Amino acid sequence: MRNLAEKWTAMPDWQTAVIDTPSFAIRSVSGLNQFLVSGDLATWSKAWGIALQPVGAFGQAMGDTYTVQVARDRLLVVSALPSTVAQGWHEQGFAVSTVSAGMLIFEIEGAAAAELVARATTLDPGKGSASAAISFAGINAVVYRHGERIRIHVDRSLAAYFWSWVATVGGNIASAEA
Amino acid sequence: MQLFHCPFCGARDETEFHFGGEAGNLRPDGADAPADRWANYLYMRDNPKGAVREVWVHMNCGEFFVMERDSVSHQVLSSTSLDGAGHAQ
Repeated sequence: MRNLAEKWTAMPDWQTAVIDTPSFAIRSVSGLNQFLVSGDLATWSKAWGIALQPVGAFGQAMGDTYTVQVARDRLLVVSALPSTVAQGWHEQGFAVSTVSAGMLIFEIEGAAAAELVARATTLDPGKGSASAAISFAGINAVVYRHGERIRIHVDRSLAAYFWSWVATVGGNIASAEA
Repeated sequence: MQLFHCPFCGARDETEFHFGGEAGNLRPDGADAPADRWANYLYMRDNPKGAVREVWVHMNCGEFFVMERDSVSHQVLSSTSLDGAGHAQ
């Protein structure tokens, strides 16, 4: 019987995987909880007890707990702690869904990070956008700044593709700089 | 590349959007609607030259909206959300 697994690149170990070039580095970020909040975002904010200050595309997020706007009535909440608000629909008008296992977080740093972003999206990082959900490297991703780095949330099922895209484009950037 | 305007996100690449049909093509109400009304709803399109009103969706944020544009010059005149609040760009 043919071994079709040989046709596919082995899935990286996301705990240790890193692409480290002289001009940029990318690795996955683990240990963060992610959940989507949909509906009445102001009411959810009061229920959870944090100010509603979501970042949009290429906005600046800080700390271990923050919110990212992904649609007019939807937030991606990133937190070191699990949600204190129960999952599911709430009568006050919002719903909470945990997506920690569904999305993988990557972090890019280095001088060529902007070059990589320029090849990934047509959106101007200097102008930003109300929603951080953008087309990035040909897939839908959530992109913003966190400290000096750029954080990218992608569907876990597309993470291997995204990883191979970064490896290829990173090689192109290195060749152009040489 | 052409830029479309999502009423929420602002200017984005046209590839982030999906066409949803002519605005105002309302689904017939009730099982008693005559066959020609259904045929008109399903198959007949105005396809005007010049100013058009179309339903589009921004697939990244899920915003449905009506876009007014010129089908000859491709100039986008306005984008108005369909969420009932009338958010516009």
